Amino acid sequence: MAEPTHALSVLLDDDVFALNRAVGVVRRRNLPIASIAVGPSHIPGASRLTVMMQTDDAGADRMVKQLQKTYGVREAELLRAADAVAREVALVRVHAPAEVHQELTEVAELFKAELVDEGPDVFVLQVTGAAWFILSFIRALERFGIIEVARSGAVVVRSAAPTSRPSSFAAETVL
Amino acid sequence: MSEILSGAQILCRTLVEEGVQYLFGYPGGAIMPFYHALGDVPELRHILVRHEQAAAHAADGYARASGRVGVCVATSGPGATNLVTGLATAHMDSSPVLAITGQVSRPMIGRDAFQETDVIGITLPITKANWLVQDASELADAVREAVAVALDGRPGPVLLDVPKDVQNQKAEYSPPRAGARGQRLTPRASAGTPGSPGLEEGVREAARLIVAAQRPLLMVGHGVILAGAYAEIRALAERTGIPVITTLLGISAFPECHPLHLGMPGMHGEVHVNRAIQHADLILGIGLRFDDRVTGNTAAFAPRAQIVHVDRDPAEIGKNVKVAVGIAGDAREVTQRLIEAVAPRRCDAWWEEIRGYMRVRDESWRDGLSPEAICRALFAVTGEHCTVVTDVGQHQMWVAKLFPYRRPNGHVTSGGLGAMGFAVPAAMGVHLARPDEPVWAISGDGGFQMKMAEIATMVQEGLAVKMAVFNNGYLGMVRQWQQFFHGKRYSCTPIWSPDYVKLAAAYGIPGWRVERAAELGDVLARANAERGPALVELVIEQEANVFPMIPPGGSLSEPIETAPAAAAT
Repeated sequence: MAEPTHALSVLLDDDVFALNRAVGVVRRRNLPIASIAVGPSHIPGASRLTVMMQTDDAGADRMVKQLQKTYGVREAELLRAADAVAREVALVRVHAPAEVHQELTEVAELFKAELVDEGPDVFVLQVTGAAWFILSFIRALERFGIIEVARSGAVVVRSAAPTSRPSSFAAETVL
Repeated sequence: MSEILSGAQILCRTLVEEGVQYLFGYPGGAIMPFYHALGDVPELRHILVRHEQAAAHAADGYARASGRVGVCVATSGPGATNLVTGLATAHMDSSPVLAITGQVSRPMIGRDAFQETDVIGITLPITKANWLVQDASELADAVREAVAVALDGRPGPVLLDVPKDVQNQKAEYSPPRAGARGQRLTPRASAGTPGSPGLEEGVREAARLIVAAQRPLLMVGHGVILAGAYAEIRALAERTGIPVITTLLGISAFPECHPLHLGMPGMHGEVHVNRAIQHADLILGIGLRFDDRVTGNTAAFAPRAQIVHVDRDPAEIGKNVKVAVGIAGDAREVTQRLIEAVAPRRCDAWWEEIRGYMRVRDESWRDGLSPEAICRALFAVTGEHCTVVTDVGQHQMWVAKLFPYRRPNGHVTSGGLGAMGFAVPAAMGVHLARPDEPVWAISGDGGFQMKMAEIATMVQEGLAVKMAVFNNGYLGMVRQWQQFFHGKRYSCTPIWSPDYVKLAAAYGIPGWRVERAAELGDVLARANAERGPALVELVIEQEANVFPMIPPGGSLSEPIETAPAAAAT
């Protein structure tokens, strides 16, 4: 998966056509995209679309201007890692026979992952964090036998203290 | 005061409310309820085209000539997909077109029903907005919103997809509420670009650069025509003496005969125009987008110039070229402010320098039937009020450079998309917007054959469009590229034509074939005087080229001025 350089954050009308148009502006550029996430925002009737992608600053500027004039888009900005806080959630179904419960639980605790569902031989674990942290968690679970992984894709907000932020999304510290 | 109407009746009613007079369209299964309702609405005149692409181009032509929204109508499936090229043309050239398409009934959507296509999905990237109308009660507001969006800010096409059962559905209809129009339009589009100076500051800075420049140029594009800023551009040019360059879509924004008019820039711009750009120290660009056909290689474009860019669409500023000052605003308003902000000046030394770049090219034409002779004769016959609608290719470049446009917005062409087949149908729309003025559709033999079926539309609907065909037996511009860049291998570019005089006769209209310059004046005068449509074939030199030419991606400093020697075989 592409290492994202920018996080595109778009506030748009809560309808699938507006979403399609906004994604279309991104799609036509054929840039590497790491993740796309969309969900309700704090404003009634408006959704937040987050696209983690690779681009350069000039390309980012053109894309934001084109998004800003797109019908149904209310706000658009492209944030660099230094200006943004990005987090995602992952759900992992992993083989969990009784003999590994202890070990699995220790790994989960190390990553502050939560056991959200369990069956006789399967755990569903939930982990939250920056993309690299999620990936580390998944790697740590590989030896137990991963059945399925679902990741939300990152969501992003502007940082409260940009000067203290790392310069790349990969360098994010946890918590 | 509300009443209960069918969706189709609501559609008709709101179109009339919005001031629509003409619909260009073609009926079919999924749009039949609308066509049924149309029979009760004499305010809406329907023009039955022979192919839906022509409906979209005609609506585009009407929109460009009238400044109002042009409307085309098609059924679902193939009807809707045939509109696509016309909508893409309108999108690239900022033309306010409203497309109304029938769609299969709501319960059938998504089941690959007969003549079902996802036209919303297909047209998303080539419309400003589109709507699948889900309920007849939403239809009136959808039409009002669509028209408002098409005309707002930088104009462009919109599409309404209306399922057949929604057209039949009864709903309460209410006349427009005050303030209901364009309620979802955001004011942002007309505000300044983030990070760029505000209007006041931008104008002040631009004025300072204009005063300081030794070699300034004014480059004007379609935005000047859309804003109707003819008088303002002229006043600014006359106040400052700055040479005026008109882009392909900017032609007829400034009188060609004016002493300050320099010409068209770019790929087929005259050498002195492009050289002026390369030597300029300031380019004041108003309402253009620095398209690649204008700039050539942007890295080598106007290397000595600072660029001031004025455009209605903030997303255009800095998109293709680096700008010193960007002003997001209406061409008319900004130009007026610039006039007030700059002191009168002259550019005599600069003009002297540019005159030194001018040269005469020696080109010979069989029997004198040159594009220049044709344009001169056509102008002499049609006078100052003619609108010339061109197609795409060699004739388009010749006419753009040689016809002495005087009528503001008297030049209509497919610029951004370069859609062959545009001229004939677009001219029908122009004619309806300007019924008392001569309208000439000029095409090559390739583009004309794409859309000559529309002669039947002209005859049936009584549209007095005059058509001229530059016939050289080739897809001439492609042949020219083959000659220059593909070792003269004329692969699939020779094109056979029917006997156009007989073709005209078959449609019951007068037709002429012109092979000598001496015949031009008489034939063009007779065609122009016809009360209905007329066709003139101009049999020109077969392998003539459009000179000069900047190779694609090349620098404006390195034009091709003569044909290359024949490739070694």
